[in-house]
Amino acid sequence: MLTSMLAASVPQTGTNAINDFLAGVKPDYVPGWAVPLTAIGIAVGLTVAIISVVAMFSVWLERKVAGHIQCRYGPMRAGWHGWLQPIADGVKLLLKEDLVPLGADRVLYVLAPALVLASVLAAMSVYPLAPGFFFADIDLGIFFVLAMTSTTTIGVVMAGWSSNSKWSLYGAMREAAQVVAYEIPLGISLLVPIMVAGSFNLLEVSRAQTGFFGLNWYIWPWINPFMLPAFVLFFIAILAETKRAPFDLPEAESELVAGFMTEYSGIRWSFFFMEEYAAMFLYSVVGAFFFFGGFESPLTWGAAKLAGDGSVLHQVAAGTTLVVKGFAGVFLMMWLRWTLPRVRIDQVMTLGYKYLTPLALVCVLGAGLWEVFLTPILPWRHG
Amino acid sequence: MDFRGILDRLQVVGAPGLLGHDLPRPPDPKDKKDKGRGGDPFVWVEPEKLPAFLECCRDDARLSLELLVDLSAVDPSKDDPNLWVVTHLLSLALRHRLEVKCALPKAAATMPSSASVHRGAQWHERECAEMFGITFRGHPDPRHILLPEDWIGFPLRKDYVFPDEYHGISCK
Amino acid sequence: MVETKDAQRTTADPGKREFMLDVRTQDMEVNMGPQHPATHGVMRILVRADGEVCTGAQPHLGYLHRCAEKIGENVEWLQYLPYTDRYDYLAAMNNNLGYSMAVEKLMGIEIPRRAMMIRTICAELNRIGSHLIAFGTYGLDIGAFTPFLYMFREREWMMALFEKICGARLTYSYIRIGGVFNDAPPGWLSEVERFCDVFEEKWHEYVDLLMVNHIFVQRTANIGVIPRAMALDFGLTGPMLRGSGVDWDLRRDMPYELYVEIWKSGCFQIPLGKGERGTLGDCWDRSYVRVMEMMESIQIVRWCLGSIASGPVIADIPKTIRVPNGEAYAGIENPRGELGHYVVSDGGKVAIRCRVRGPSFTNLAVLEEILPGALIADTIAIIGSTDIVVGETDR
Repeated sequence: MLTSMLAASVPQTGTNAINDFLAGVKPDYVPGWAVPLTAIGIAVGLTVAIISVVAMFSVWLERKVAGHIQCRYGPMRAGWHGWLQPIADGVKLLLKEDLVPLGADRVLYVLAPALVLASVLAAMSVYPLAPGFFFADIDLGIFFVLAMTSTTTIGVVMAGWSSNSKWSLYGAMREAAQVVAYEIPLGISLLVPIMVAGSFNLLEVSRAQTGFFGLNWYIWPWINPFMLPAFVLFFIAILAETKRAPFDLPEAESELVAGFMTEYSGIRWSFFFMEEYAAMFLYSVVGAFFFFGGFESPLTWGAAKLAGDGSVLHQVAAGTTLVVKGFAGVFLMMWLRWTLPRVRIDQVMTLGYKYLTPLALVCVLGAGLWEVFLTPILPWRHG
Repeated sequence: MDFRGILDRLQVVGAPGLLGHDLPRPPDPKDKKDKGRGGDPFVWVEPEKLPAFLECCRDDARLSLELLVDLSAVDPSKDDPNLWVVTHLLSLALRHRLEVKCALPKAAATMPSSASVHRGAQWHERECAEMFGITFRGHPDPRHILLPEDWIGFPLRKDYVFPDEYHGISCK
Repeated sequence: MVETKDAQRTTADPGKREFMLDVRTQDMEVNMGPQHPATHGVMRILVRADGEVCTGAQPHLGYLHRCAEKIGENVEWLQYLPYTDRYDYLAAMNNNLGYSMAVEKLMGIEIPRRAMMIRTICAELNRIGSHLIAFGTYGLDIGAFTPFLYMFREREWMMALFEKICGARLTYSYIRIGGVFNDAPPGWLSEVERFCDVFEEKWHEYVDLLMVNHIFVQRTANIGVIPRAMALDFGLTGPMLRGSGVDWDLRRDMPYELYVEIWKSGCFQIPLGKGERGTLGDCWDRSYVRVMEMMESIQIVRWCLGSIASGPVIADIPKTIRVPNGEAYAGIENPRGELGHYVVSDGGKVAIRCRVRGPSFTNLAVLEEILPGALIADTIAIIGSTDIVVGETDR
């Protein structure tokens, strides 16, 4: 009874596929309610695995990018060109002493990194990594993603407060102010591609950009000239959301030691960092979906032609395309971090509220007018 | 201006506390013990009048000694009953320097503070106070600056005895 | 709130207790240092903050006090030279020069021309090195990680040059009383010329990357403004003074060594802050002065290379120096300001007093005046712009 209720309430998803498969192979002595729970457990485990791999690769990428920009090599010893470095770092962090500072609020202190990572994992669950490979396909895709990634702020503020250190508190306050300020241009600038696509669902937005060797991607001005400014605003907003330079005040190393993460060490600290890289990747993938065609690329088109739509080759090609686009965005964010100095908190807020928000509103208005009046007369926008 | 010119000007404006001056001189051939004196000329000023003297030097247009370069002290020797408080002044407009010396008796090492005339003197006086035991009356912030607050003794005096231990740390 | 717990847990030195007594309860007391990535050494600044605005600042010094002046009264004149390296360890050549000049003034000896040339080259190269660190770490404080490493590339070359000439990279003890320790090895002077050529190109890179970067300008303009009157009142010297538009440089106005000739040849200018990107006397102006000074130092080095003389590199003085009775003061233009040595001698082998007037010590005092009213993020920018070396502040 419970099983069928659970099964009926959730739309067809990847988790459901796992659920059906498990139901098929379930031995008789296992109770019925264990199957959906196991399916969910496996899905969560896979999400964690994907995020971990993404984070580890990002760590390596960051250090190599930083190194090469600074005229040095970066990690070279742990494996070929240092590819084992993140694993070495992970092992080191796991072996560190697990300490909670004296006078810290123990419950909040332990909960904060968990909450931060959990938010990002939850956002991850909505992403299709290939046209047929996703955990939950909900119509409110992007809305859910934005909402979940915003809840990381609660975790950050908890971390800053519970550390019982003034420096952490400063970092947490700055973080909260910054994230709240940049949520607005982030959401509004995303309205432009959502308007053009007509859906919040990530997969549908990607499908709307197929064809013509990438000339259908939303970023091009002939689709809608307000897409490019919207993308620029979106990119600046995600730099601020993920606390990357030039908006990295919350962890402003040279000012506040490590901001809200000052009192964290070992694996707890690494949770914050995993969240940062995962968020970078996730936002970058959102950008890829909405502006750069998502799964569509000549590679995907070729695979679909060769092996058929929905085949394994097509899925792999689509997934690869998406990951490459995602990491291109991540690379751009890293490049900016090592080039630009930090912007002061009041200048960040001024930029967010006084410049980006009005510009975002203008973009939405312009895009809307374009859609209503000019789209019917443009031949390439039909069909 | 050279030193002679500055000295004349000081005498003309009646700089408060001016006692005399000291010029470098070669050793006296008649006196075997006389070592002579090399280096820079300076003026002697009464310690009690030092702030007024500095103010006069700063405000007079022909002297224009606006910058206080250094204010420190010297303990010439164990036997000498006086400490010297040495002030170096600099004029940006007229490109000259002046060295001012005050003889302060060790037994009563107290003089008014020049921090009201030159704000920069504040930290220099704090250092003098803790190193030589000079009290600058009227100093706005007479804490120790380089030494810990509870340090005993005046390190740069010639009769300073190093402590045996400090907070349990042996100093031998 | 958080601050009462923290305040009780920090040290109980009486000076700090006094500062705490008049703290209003809504203010927060934040401790910058002694360990802090941005305080340029071991120094503690107690900042009273009302939210993000600083309402009071109190620097606490003495963490690096090594009794240099007391040591000066206990070792021989030449033995004191290595101690001079160690106060402003980023510009050690200049420190050596200052001390040597004071003693030479008292001794009344003449320095051979070649020695003066080499001294000037070394002092100016070290000025470049010191400004590279000042500017690079300033960028680091503001958040630009990369220019710092680029500048260190040039500084490595400079240190390699010094290693060739005297064997040390940081604390040289090369400029001695009477001249320099030994002559430059063959090929050194042409390598210095190559360094000048390469540095001129790289200098433009640094200006583009950091100096005129919009974010850097936004972070440093109109902040920490030191008006002319305040600068003179505090006794500031060096880029702190020139950044406020005061035209004063000891190399031109009270020249020593070869600077009379160098200035007459017209090969270098004195850069001044002009309030180009904000208010006159703000942090950007001081950085601007330092960056421009690097270029001017290159011109001075080129002049010296062009007119290098041959001859002895040290005056004929005995191994154990006995300095005649008397006292002398010699001030030179250190990268940070006027470094003054006031030496008193009674004719013996050991000094009676060896007073060091460190520019960083005097320059630091101005923080008590300009920090209140600034934002916490600006505090770092202002402290960085004073370019202090705690070794010199504490001696």
